[in-house]
Amino acid sequence: MFDFLSRILGGKSRPGGPGSKSLAKERLKLALACDRVDVSPQMFEGLRVDLARAVSKYVEIDEAGMKLRFDSSDRRLALVASVPVIGMRRGSEAARRSKDRR
Amino acid sequence: MEGRVIVVTSGKGGVGKTTAVANIGCGLASRGKKVALVDADIGLRNLDIVLGLENRIVYDIVHVIEGKCRLRQALIRDKRLQTLFLMPAAQSRDKEAVQPEQMKQLTRTLAHEFDYVVIDCPAGIERGFKNAIAGADEAVIVTTPEVSAVRDADRIVGLLETQGVSGPRLVINRLRPEMVKRGDMLNVDDVIDILAIDLLGVVPDDESVITSTNKGEPVVLDGASRAGEAFRRIAARIDGEDVPFMSMEAGGFWSRLKRFIGMGM
Ligand SMILES: Nc1ncnc2c1ncn2[C@@H]1O[C@H](COP(=O)(O)OP(=O)(O)OP(=O)(O)O)[C@@H](O)[C@H]1O
Ligand SMILES: [Mg+2]
Repeated sequence: MFDFLSRILGGKSRPGGPGSKSLAKERLKLALACDRVDVSPQMFEGLRVDLARAVSKYVEIDEAGMKLRFDSSDRRLALVASVPVIGMRRGSEAARRSKDRR
Repeated sequence: MEGRVIVVTSGKGGVGKTTAVANIGCGLASRGKKVALVDADIGLRNLDIVLGLENRIVYDIVHVIEGKCRLRQALIRDKRLQTLFLMPAAQSRDKEAVQPEQMKQLTRTLAHEFDYVVIDCPAGIERGFKNAIAGADEAVIVTTPEVSAVRDADRIVGLLETQGVSGPRLVINRLRPEMVKRGDMLNVDDVIDILAIDLLGVVPDDESVITSTNKGEPVVLDGASRAGEAFRRIAARIDGEDVPFMSMEAGGFWSRLKRFIGMGM
């Protein structure tokens, strides 16, 4: 009985999944993230290659598994990188540098 | 004391900027404030007809800027409210007839004499937009709870920031509570979450906006209208009063029944 009433009166969500607004919100979030960043694919690729090169000086990475994205939640932009590490480099640049400093 | 210059803008067209300017203006003037409304939508003059002042125009904003008349001569006093004035847009010119610097000077001059100068910005982000925001201290962004309007509003937030107009506040217009309840329309929290700016007010989609516009009487002057009440609160908030947000329950029979049987949200 309650179910029936709820259906004819239109409850919070419709049977068969959420209303179209969740889709609207998801699509908007994605569109705005891209709008706000406004970087060209070439620049993005350049950033990825340079970043991989820099990180590789210190640790051995799986470059193919590297993920890079901009996050613009909270109206502030963050560059979020996930870089799978295969192993540490012995006698790496980093180790040499810290020795120099000492 | 120097008045506040507030631009009402949106990016997307037809979301309710002119309606908001007319109602905010009448709302502030009803509170006893001296208000000048500036129609910056040159070539597509509308604020005059929404306010019911279309038959009184002799001079317009371009005449003032080109020095063909004095500022005072172009200002039209409202029929109902003694402290409300309109600076009409030119109808037979285009947006290029005005430079941002001239607009800035004009609104600053008005701010010497009025408590509030409220500017009706045209749609878009080109010259008309740049003119309208040139002299603004503050901005009110109008959107509807739809993807295209919200996306354009986000662009405007970014552009205002780069132009140095900070802290814009948001009016969500034409909200339909029954669609929100069904999950078929972005709700207030969704829009605020996405745009990350402060909320100034929420105006329901309401037929009385159209009937009152038909008569040239802003809905804020209609004590029985829901949209009118929403605009009264918006004007009060602009004027520095801390008023609670209106409940957006659909006021009809079904929602009363739902509340009665305990299903209301
Ligand atoms: N809350 C509302 N409920 C119902 N109708 C509304 C509401 N707000 C605005 N409207 C209607 O929507 C239409 C567009 O409004 P308005 O002219 O204020 O938009 P605008 O943003 O100034 O448009 P433009 O970009 O062309 O200048 C008008 O017909 C107006 O009556
Ligand atoms: Mg308009």
